[in-house]
Amino acid sequence: MIEPVALQDFFLTFFSAAMVILCGALYALLFAYARVRRRQRLMPLAYLAYLGLVASVLVLAMAANLFATGFWTFIVMLMLIGYLLAPHAIWHLCVGTHAHDHPDQESGPYQKQS
Amino acid sequence: MSHTEWWASESFWRKTAIWVTAGSFVALIFLTLDSMSAITAGSTRVPAYSVINHRIDYVFDEKRNFQVPVIGVEEPLFDQTLTEAEAEALVSRGKLTTQAKNCMNCHTLLGNGAYYAPDLTKAWLDPSWGSKDVREQMMVDFLMNPQDRLHNGLGRRMPNLGITEGEARATVAFLKWMASIDTNGFPANFTPIDQSDPPADDASAANGSPIPQQGG
Amino acid sequence: MAMPGTLDSANLNGGQKLAVKYFTVALALFGAQIVFGLLAGIQYLKPDFLYGVLDFSVNRMVHINALVVWLLFGFIGSSYWLLEDEAGIPVVGLRLGNLVFWVFTLAVAVVVVVYLLVQIGPGDHSTLWLINEGREYIEAPRWADIGIVACVLAFFFNVAATFAKGRYTGIGGVLVLDLIALFGIYLAGMFYTPNISVDQYWWWWVIHLWVEATWEVLVGCLMAYGLMQTLGVRRKIVETWLYIEVALMFGSGILGLGHHYFWIGTPEYWFTIGGFFSALEPIPLVAMVVHSVFDSGTHNMKNNNHPALAWIIAHAFGNFFGAGVWGFMHTLPQINLYTHGTQWSASHGHFAFFGAYATLVIAFFYLALQKWRGNVWMSGGLAGAWRWKWALGLLNLGMVGMVMAMLVAGYEQSQIERAIEGSSWVGYFVAQAHPWFVQGMWWRQVFGWMFAAGFVLLVWDLLTLGRGERRPAQAHSESAPR
Repeated sequence: MIEPVALQDFFLTFFSAAMVILCGALYALLFAYARVRRRQRLMPLAYLAYLGLVASVLVLAMAANLFATGFWTFIVMLMLIGYLLAPHAIWHLCVGTHAHDHPDQESGPYQKQS
Repeated sequence: MSHTEWWASESFWRKTAIWVTAGSFVALIFLTLDSMSAITAGSTRVPAYSVINHRIDYVFDEKRNFQVPVIGVEEPLFDQTLTEAEAEALVSRGKLTTQAKNCMNCHTLLGNGAYYAPDLTKAWLDPSWGSKDVREQMMVDFLMNPQDRLHNGLGRRMPNLGITEGEARATVAFLKWMASIDTNGFPANFTPIDQSDPPADDASAANGSPIPQQGG
Repeated sequence: MAMPGTLDSANLNGGQKLAVKYFTVALALFGAQIVFGLLAGIQYLKPDFLYGVLDFSVNRMVHINALVVWLLFGFIGSSYWLLEDEAGIPVVGLRLGNLVFWVFTLAVAVVVVVYLLVQIGPGDHSTLWLINEGREYIEAPRWADIGIVACVLAFFFNVAATFAKGRYTGIGGVLVLDLIALFGIYLAGMFYTPNISVDQYWWWWVIHLWVEATWEVLVGCLMAYGLMQTLGVRRKIVETWLYIEVALMFGSGILGLGHHYFWIGTPEYWFTIGGFFSALEPIPLVAMVVHSVFDSGTHNMKNNNHPALAWIIAHAFGNFFGAGVWGFMHTLPQINLYTHGTQWSASHGHFAFFGAYATLVIAFFYLALQKWRGNVWMSGGLAGAWRWKWALGLLNLGMVGMVMAMLVAGYEQSQIERAIEGSSWVGYFVAQAHPWFVQGMWWRQVFGWMFAAGFVLLVWDLLTLGRGERRPAQAHSESAPR
């Protein structure tokens, strides 16, 4: 079940949806940059971008009537939590996958690692 | 040599990639099986082809919160009541014509196609045809000789595509049938052509009868 | 060894010689795509232009078919390009591969000539078999469908047999499995049904699962190879990330099919599936952002092919904005109800196809050119470098301009035609006559010409860049860990 966007909310919908992606990317960018350059001072800016994302998601949720039903409310929650954690998870994965330092083995047999 | 955590290892991600892909695909197969049964002609969402023997309307449904097609009284296309097999043959010829004439590279059907000419999803119900009594013949005439007719103020015209009378009638049948598909309220806020009968028949038109379920 | 700076096939291995043939045809088809796009665009402004000779439907069909085929040729060429390097042996069945290239090219030429000269046929099966199937993007008549499948099976045999006989690398494994999916899915579009809901259901299998799943993974394989070649990134890392990408892309992409099943007659549960996977859509993009920042910080890489790298950066931005931002803006059913089938779709389609795919194939053109000329210098201080820079600028600005113009037109359409006028035909034409729409179409045309100018420069550049260059390519400094 969906509740279509009202005419006066069209612009708000497009704009906030775009801002969700842009803020999400900015948050990821600042987060990764602060970590990789070890500039902790940048980290608050990253979370500021995430706050922008939260605001955008909430505006989108209002404009697109997402709080009208349980399922779409769940999607809103998923976005808020998922986009917060995703850069952390990906960062860990970057560190983890680049961990081992021995020379490359050209397509050598697969090594079990655990 | 430092070690790699299991969750960052190549083998873990290779397996994950395989399982995610396979899992998504299996889910898609099951959804496809279910969707196929829901959209086979003769189902509740996609009526049997013989629906062209009936009036088709597009009415707001409070419970579903959007407009849905309603199958009404008997109102055969070109005044000929067709059997299911005859109706399918006619609609199929119409569908073949829409493909052979490349309709989809100017128009949209169910919203898919090109954007140079109007959407055809509810072409059968469009108010532009004026009155329901002349609609069928106007559509046939238009399809056969569109080049000289009034289209719009833009100067955009449909070209003559060499559509024969048989093809034109079949195309109208296809368009009428397509208007009966339950598209979850697309297009929204659409005002269909006035199909009401003289006052005496009003009650039956408004109620409608259930969608024919046979055949497909 | 040939003189550096001249095009000499002695510089290429067998697969690469075949690859440059595919690239040449791809570039020609890219040109055709632009020409027919311009013609169709003019018809929005002057509807009588070529009316009854080359109608909008014909121009638009050639425009989108050329797109699909040039990208496909680019992908096939790129696969042949990396095949021998990856597998470590010459291509198995290369003579067959060469033969198939000529058959494939000839078939494409015949299909286009029939599109242009015959255009349409009677409303029966003969038209679908011989002239035009009339289904957007996969209009190719059925004989050509069968021919495409045969050609592609031969291509698949080349790839699979070469990997099987040589080394089966991680990239090779993903590539082979992806090609099976790519061509298996094409079969889903090769049948006729009178039921348009069933028709569009399977039609989206082909279109969506190609464009938003298998093509993405194919590009992932090409990028993985490119990263190892141009930046010297270690194989193990590259392949682990390829698997991560496959998991993310197929995980969000396969059931992302749901967002095409809102309005074609399919059940309402597709709203929830489409909505859920639309929310997952940005995750691969986030992964890309974090990972590329991580890489740029931990490795001190020197790039030996500036034009290729510039196009890869264009790819990153184009993919992010075209697929990510533009997609998310109108993917939720609550708003898609009003944007589906308007210039919104056209704006998103142009941006995403160009950003995600065209840019990357162009990057491969430059990689191929460098090797073809004898692995010459293509870093800073290159003679005539203004050409590739201007080509890059004009193509990208032209595209962004077109996309913005269509966005304005689509925004107006979604409001006036859809929301206010309720999608009636009168509403459609009222919206088409609105100044925002009309001016949008003019601006689209202006930027289309800019794009075309960029293409001309691109061709000129590909013919001349590095000619007479004697310096060898800059060596990559091996990645220096932190």
